[in-house]
Amino acid sequence: MVRTELVKRSPLRVLEGAIHGGLGHGNIAVLASPKGVGKTACLVHIATDKLLQGRHVIHVSYSSRVDYIITWYEDIFKEIAKDRKLTDAVDVHDEIIANRVIMNFKQDGTKTEQVLKSLEAMITFGKFSADTVIVDGYDFSRSACEDLAKFKDFAGRLGLEVWFSASLRETGVPFYDADGVPAMLKPICEALDVVITLHALDQHVEFRVVKDHDHPAPGVLPIKLDPKTLLIK
Amino acid sequence: MSTDISRMRNIGISAHIDSGKTTLTERILFYCKKIHKIHEVKGKDGVGATMDHMELERERGITITSAATYVEWAGHSINIIDTPGHVDFTIEVERSLRVLDGAVLVLCAVGGVQSQTITVDRQLRRYNVPRIAFVNKCDRTGANPVKVRDQLEEKLKHNAVLMQIPIGLEDKHRGLVDLVSMTAVYFDGPDGETIRVEDIPAELAPEARARREEMLDAASMFSDALTEAILEGRVTEDLIHQAIRRGTIARELTPVFLGSAYKNKGVQSLLDGIVRYLPDPSEVENSAMALDDGGAEIKLATDPAAPAVLLAFKLEDGPYGQLTYIRVYQGRIEKGTELVNTRSRQKIKVGRLIRMHADSMVDITEASAGDIAALFGIDCASGDTFAAPGFNVAMTSIYVPEPVISLAIKPVDKRSLDRMAKALNRFTKEDPTFRTHVDPESLETIIQGMGELHLDVYVERMKREYNAEVETGKPQVAYREAISVKAEFDYTHKKQTGGAGQYGRVIGYVEPNPEGSYEFVNDVKGGRIPREFILSCDKGFRTAMKKGDLIGFPVIGVRVVLNDGQSHDVDSSDHAFQAAAIGAFRQVYRKAKPQILEPVMKVSVEGPSEYAGNVFGTIHQRRGVIVSSVEDGIFSRVDAEVPLAEMFGYSTQLRSLTQGKAEFTMEFLRYGRIPASIAEALAAEHAARKAQEQAR
Repeated sequence: MVRTELVKRSPLRVLEGAIHGGLGHGNIAVLASPKGVGKTACLVHIATDKLLQGRHVIHVSYSSRVDYIITWYEDIFKEIAKDRKLTDAVDVHDEIIANRVIMNFKQDGTKTEQVLKSLEAMITFGKFSADTVIVDGYDFSRSACEDLAKFKDFAGRLGLEVWFSASLRETGVPFYDADGVPAMLKPICEALDVVITLHALDQHVEFRVVKDHDHPAPGVLPIKLDPKTLLIK
Repeated sequence: MSTDISRMRNIGISAHIDSGKTTLTERILFYCKKIHKIHEVKGKDGVGATMDHMELERERGITITSAATYVEWAGHSINIIDTPGHVDFTIEVERSLRVLDGAVLVLCAVGGVQSQTITVDRQLRRYNVPRIAFVNKCDRTGANPVKVRDQLEEKLKHNAVLMQIPIGLEDKHRGLVDLVSMTAVYFDGPDGETIRVEDIPAELAPEARARREEMLDAASMFSDALTEAILEGRVTEDLIHQAIRRGTIARELTPVFLGSAYKNKGVQSLLDGIVRYLPDPSEVENSAMALDDGGAEIKLATDPAAPAVLLAFKLEDGPYGQLTYIRVYQGRIEKGTELVNTRSRQKIKVGRLIRMHADSMVDITEASAGDIAALFGIDCASGDTFAAPGFNVAMTSIYVPEPVISLAIKPVDKRSLDRMAKALNRFTKEDPTFRTHVDPESLETIIQGMGELHLDVYVERMKREYNAEVETGKPQVAYREAISVKAEFDYTHKKQTGGAGQYGRVIGYVEPNPEGSYEFVNDVKGGRIPREFILSCDKGFRTAMKKGDLIGFPVIGVRVVLNDGQSHDVDSSDHAFQAAAIGAFRQVYRKAKPQILEPVMKVSVEGPSEYAGNVFGTIHQRRGVIVSSVEDGIFSRVDAEVPLAEMFGYSTQLRSLTQGKAEFTMEFLRYGRIPASIAEALAAEHAARKAQEQAR
């Protein structure tokens, strides 16, 4: 399969359709689940899909080591290439890898202002025309609303799509409210444009869209994540 | 000196630039009473640290050559091999690592594990060198030894264990708590030479107890006796030392020491650590290749009675002639001992035998297994093995990377020409990554090396040490050419010009070899090409690939498959088939869609976060790809891949953009395809040069 065909047939088109044509520039999405369900895999999938479309992606991480993140990308690219029998996989890989940059911050030491300043430096000084920003490992349990507002403002100003992961923690109250929205994200839900929750079932991981811009949320999506290959199908 | 091998240590001090390695070495010499006064690197007193013994190194404040220095501490003999800190001189580092039995990994308490620490640690790992860590500069603002310990675990995967905790940090750094003896240690006197041991300050006692627990936990993994003693509450210092030593030598544990060499804190405790935990020569396994037995590996015994085996690991030109640093691996030598250089087969007799302390030397009468010493008046190349006559072995060869950059040099006058030749002869013997040749077309002398700074240093040394003034051309990147598709050839080389004719025909195809190396596959059936000429074809293809058609650089990564051909009973010859292969390659090359490749370097820039934006900019300007940026509070590191051709002058640019606060390291990563526009420009340049030469 050639690259354009692969993009066209990607299961992420289903997600895009469900949220009315995608996240959109200046908007923020959150993928939420308890630890170990597959948030990072999904984020890397979304990033890889953008890269395959020739876009530029900045991957911000707060916890993982850089080489660990690179391995994620390598593994998922390899799985996709194998599964879809991608032609000229090596060339495609070399081409898209140059459009991805990883920025690692220590959560304790780095304020959101500093993160955004560095992101902006990468985009302006580094002439890195980013389109999508992936933020993995951000600690929502102590985030203030104003922090997220800063991200939102930044995304709007620079025309970026921002995808967060949120790790849900045991706090005594149920993870989700009656509408399926994570309790932890409740206070900031207004600022979010799309919220997707991941649920580990017996054989696969299920996606539920619990917030979709101003539209009624479509709920369970007809795609799933295979926990073995970490492919979305 | 001590002749008891268990009291012998051969150690290296490895570090990132500016971690204070030279200062630390200087202090070690001072406390071991080898020098009587402390100098600083880039000394305010204009003398410079004693180990940086070359004038040039003194001026630039860096250490280039590795000198071996002998000191004594607590009844032990320690040879310290000073290793250079700059990546451009990596071969020097690797060669000194070969002769080490243990190493002190110096880390900056502020900067922690930096890009080069990773490189150095990888090298130590490659040579299985056990290490202890010294977290230096605890007196600096931002010092955080616990964070550095964590980085040793996270980034280098060491099982790092604090042996001490600091009493105060930054400008309040006063001493250390020793977690083995559970005492507070202070370093008094003008040069910290007086050690005062006291009770642990009350406010530090809880932390000390907790850290000691951690240390005991880690140590007990290596000793059942210690585990039992812990359970029974009768732990002794000796039991702890033994367990830590075992873990360290097995390279499964890294004891971490702290201090500030500059402020004279902790160096003596580190010396105790060196003799306590690093192995003696008999505890390290060394092997050689038996040359009469197809290179079979044989273990060497640290036994003075066995046949002698020595490795020459470093040459130096001193005022008294060539000095050859050697390590004795087996047997013993003294004045008059006969040895054979197993590479050149030359016989030598040991003359004057000395032991070095940076610039001064002491005569010794003998050296035995485990010793490091130096010989006078021996002609050899570095890396040569000397062995007792009849014991034909070679120490395993040291990995030598290919040079990535070259520079044309021209002596300014006739006198300089002779001196330059002499200097080049010396440098190439000393440093296998430094090469030189005369370009057959331009007749210019070309020097090649691992980076701009590497070549700069040699040009400077020519001037200073040999009085040879040379003009340098523009540094030239070592490009490569490669084919991108499979293509078939069918070529006949035929000449009938009276006398013996020439005839050879070769048929087959070439294709890219993903391995990146040249491969020749003989698939000729039924003797269509006689066996003796197959080799000629191979040779012909190799010759053809020395210079590609695009820009005259070597062609790499080609697999040649020869599957048919034709020969003539009378007219076929070695020469004819070589010519056929060369012709075939010329014929097929353009069809195989050749491309130009350039060396791409892995570049790491470290500095204060505020300059990260500037750094991103410089990488972008230089056709680089930023792979990642890591921000850890005020420090940041940017890792990028940048073509070598774009890296010229980077140190100057970086310095001026960041007021000297950022630094970078680079090493060869891979060959990468060059953008089409640049490839065209290079090809046009090459064509113009060729036309010019033909016109002449």
